[in-house]
Amino acid sequence: MNSINTENLSIAYEEKLIVKGLDMCIPKGKITTIIGPNGCGKSTLLKAVGRILKPKDGIVYLNGEDIHNLTTKEIAQKMAILPQSPQAPSGLTVGELVAYGRFPHQKGFGKLKEEDKEIIQWALEVTKILEFETTIVDNLSGGQRQRVWIAMALAQGTDLILLDEPTTYLDLSYQLEVLELLYNLNKKQNKTIVMVLHDLNLASRFADHMVAIRCGEIISHGDPEKVMTPEILKEVFNIDAHIVRDPRKGCLTCISYDLIKNKNNMCAKICGGMNI
Amino acid sequence: MVSSNKTKTEIKNIEYVDKGRTWVALLIILLGLGFLFFLMAFSITKGSIEIPLSSVWDVLFSFDENNTHHLIILDIRFPRVIASALVGAAFAVAGAIMQGITRNPMADSGLLGLNAGAGFALSICFAFFPKMKYIQIILFSFLGAAFGAALVNGIASFRRGRATPMRLVLAGAAVSALLSSLSQGIALYFNVAQDIMFWAVGGVAGSNWEQIKIMFPWIIGALIGGVILSHSISISSLGEDVAKGLGLNTAMINVLSSIIVLILAGASVSVVGTVGFVGLIIPHLARYLVGVDYRWIIPVSAVLGAILVVVADLGARTLNPPFETPIGPLIALVGVPFFLYLARKERRAL
Amino acid sequence: MENIKQKNEAHKNKVAKRNITILITCLILLILSFVISMNTGYTKLSPNDTLKTLFGGGSHKEKLILFKFRLPRIVVSILVGIGLSLSGCIIQGISRNPLADPGLLGINAGAGLMVILYVMFFGAKSFLSVFTLPFLALIGAGITAILIYILSYKKGEGVAPLRLILTGIAIQAGISALTTLLVIKLDDTQFDFVANWQAGSIWASNWNFVMTLLPWILILVPYIMMKSRVLDILNLGDELAYSLGTEVERERQLLLGAAVALAASSVSVSGSIGFVGLIAPHLARRLVGPKHRILLPTCALIGAVLVSISDTIAKIIVQPLEIPTGIVVAIVGAPYFLYLLSRNTQ
Repeated sequence: MNSINTENLSIAYEEKLIVKGLDMCIPKGKITTIIGPNGCGKSTLLKAVGRILKPKDGIVYLNGEDIHNLTTKEIAQKMAILPQSPQAPSGLTVGELVAYGRFPHQKGFGKLKEEDKEIIQWALEVTKILEFETTIVDNLSGGQRQRVWIAMALAQGTDLILLDEPTTYLDLSYQLEVLELLYNLNKKQNKTIVMVLHDLNLASRFADHMVAIRCGEIISHGDPEKVMTPEILKEVFNIDAHIVRDPRKGCLTCISYDLIKNKNNMCAKICGGMNI
Repeated sequence: MVSSNKTKTEIKNIEYVDKGRTWVALLIILLGLGFLFFLMAFSITKGSIEIPLSSVWDVLFSFDENNTHHLIILDIRFPRVIASALVGAAFAVAGAIMQGITRNPMADSGLLGLNAGAGFALSICFAFFPKMKYIQIILFSFLGAAFGAALVNGIASFRRGRATPMRLVLAGAAVSALLSSLSQGIALYFNVAQDIMFWAVGGVAGSNWEQIKIMFPWIIGALIGGVILSHSISISSLGEDVAKGLGLNTAMINVLSSIIVLILAGASVSVVGTVGFVGLIIPHLARYLVGVDYRWIIPVSAVLGAILVVVADLGARTLNPPFETPIGPLIALVGVPFFLYLARKERRAL
Repeated sequence: MENIKQKNEAHKNKVAKRNITILITCLILLILSFVISMNTGYTKLSPNDTLKTLFGGGSHKEKLILFKFRLPRIVVSILVGIGLSLSGCIIQGISRNPLADPGLLGINAGAGLMVILYVMFFGAKSFLSVFTLPFLALIGAGITAILIYILSYKKGEGVAPLRLILTGIAIQAGISALTTLLVIKLDDTQFDFVANWQAGSIWASNWNFVMTLLPWILILVPYIMMKSRVLDILNLGDELAYSLGTEVERERQLLLGAAVALAASSVSVSGSIGFVGLIAPHLARRLVGPKHRILLPTCALIGAVLVSISDTIAKIIVQPLEIPTGIVVAIVGAPYFLYLLSRNTQ
């Protein structure tokens, strides 16, 4: 059972084709991580799947339904998407921002019901920002702010959450905390998580399913055992990677890598290093 | 080895784009200057009396005191064309600097409170000192413009000199509204609104050598200052934090830019009234042509601005002779369709 | 944990209380300016007489002055204040640009052009003007706004805020240019009329105008209040707004439409009072923060207070002459705004 399927998906900015004829599937109830070099179309793909960008061609299926036949509110009840470095209006408190996550479930004037309040409380608690509830978002540090946005996505209460680099701005322990939080949500509440990650080792450690992209094309996908190989990393990142098994976690880890010299960087030419 | 060659061509391509920009900018400046001189000469021949182009040449090299054509050229048309070019360059560069510093595509010199200040001074002159001489009125207007700018800057940097672009923009809008309302009130109460309007739409019609003697060194000096600052303005347009990180003294740059804008726009506003659209549209056009580097935007803006105002002034004199068509609206009407086109074309404005 | 929750609750209550205090203060100010305005004008009426007349007593003359002249004018100024400030609040929220105001949608320029055309063809003293002028102004404003919308619309991208701003500036400048070209052809009386209109004078003050303006306000204000959450979400930027399930483009269209209708109907009876739409939302945001549910009512009240107080001042300051209300609005509002700006570091 797949949560998301794409069929022959092509995405373009103006006339510039970023992703072409992509068929991808995101398995339900699993954690999927998308890896790939800068400007390869990861964020673009995530946005198209999250219907922020209109694809030039092709169809996105959400739980088997064509996404174009759903209203945007219906989609928002099933899928939350957190873009990269969003900006809060100045003067808003953390509690107010997280409460915005309940928007797709509200009608009319939108008074918060008990149920809404509970889920907001829960989101604040699991992201450990309860103590900041009445603080103005502008006054938080980068890492705290990132957790506020994740809390907002959680408050949306969807089974599927897409995140574009949720660990940016976070220090080592918070990176782990956020990923473990998402891991627990996946294991305990069976939520489907899709995220773009830059850190290969974290991507491999937390993923059930990995997708490696280069120049808007899928190079490989499947479980980490299949994707985290020197051959594929060479093809995707143009690196010579040394992969070993993490003695503590048992997952595949890249402990050292070198750049491969004298290899032309086709992607830079085709995608123009675009990372929008 | 094939692949390594490819990398090299790619690098060359990148350099080529960069150099291409430089050449485009240089070409625009040189061709623009040539075109500007031709236009100025052509503009001198037109008006209520047609004068052959050769006379323009003669005035420069074999001036004849008894030739009426020569006198018209020297006393009336020359100063007028020179004033147009100066004012155009000044408005355009002032606008470019304002947009770079505030990072707001809606910004122009009017935002510094200059136009409103000059208008305020003008209404006081007309209401209380109706017998003032022409040159005195112009000086008064300039003082008004300076007053407006000082007010805006003072309020924006009230606290420990923190004049962030946002505060500057907001203070500018509020001060402008305040001063222009005051002058509207004075004008209506003392019944001089119509006189002020006729003065304000007069454009460069009354320019004479006396004015140009005063204006010329200031505007040229400020234009050079703008070019010198242009690199810092490029850095500044990346945002305050990045600019500071790159070692720029942002507060200093803000103050210096404000002074340059004041001289450029203040002098122009007091001579021709508010010809707002030049400062708004020319920087956008320059950015469209030569990219986001203010080292090119500023000189290109100066040339294009001068051309625009010289053309507009030509139109003002020849569209409906012997009457003058007001130059400000003329520029706006020409500029609007073009600006609309740019607005559709541009993905990002800054 | 419980401790933190209690603290948060306490803080939230405190903020809620403060917001209500601010709202009530604005309301009291509004009532105060209402009372003062009732007692000021060319003919002196004592507060006692005013009160008596309001509740059915008073002489015929007093009734005439109060009900026929003063009351409708006060009501119009309050409605105009509400309309323009809410319109500005919506436009600033949608464009995410602090300089945006209803003028950006071409409302003042379009209405102004119509007024000038009318005055050129029919003269300032035409008896028809009292009824047709607001109507024409409304049409001019509406057409301009639609023009700006169409020109900034791009297939696949909709109306990006930045393009809307740039288009708005351009059209506004173009129309103002046309206006100037026409204005220099006007004779003295025509010019005076137009100059007064442009400075924003609430000249159209009888019950007919209250009746033309009131339905707009009564329908649109609740509608906008209902949309307050959508405005909050749009304020997060397009991407997140999509993600949270807003039909970004459609909502933007509806809200812009509401903003245009509010501002255009207000401007048609008040002349161009531009500053309220710029300043009232800023003042409100500084007082109660960016959440529209509390921001919108605060903004409306501030706008109403600002215009009605200014109108009162306009009436008394240079009696028996009057200066246009729009001028007083800027003279009263700008210094307070500048004071807030210089005091607040954020």
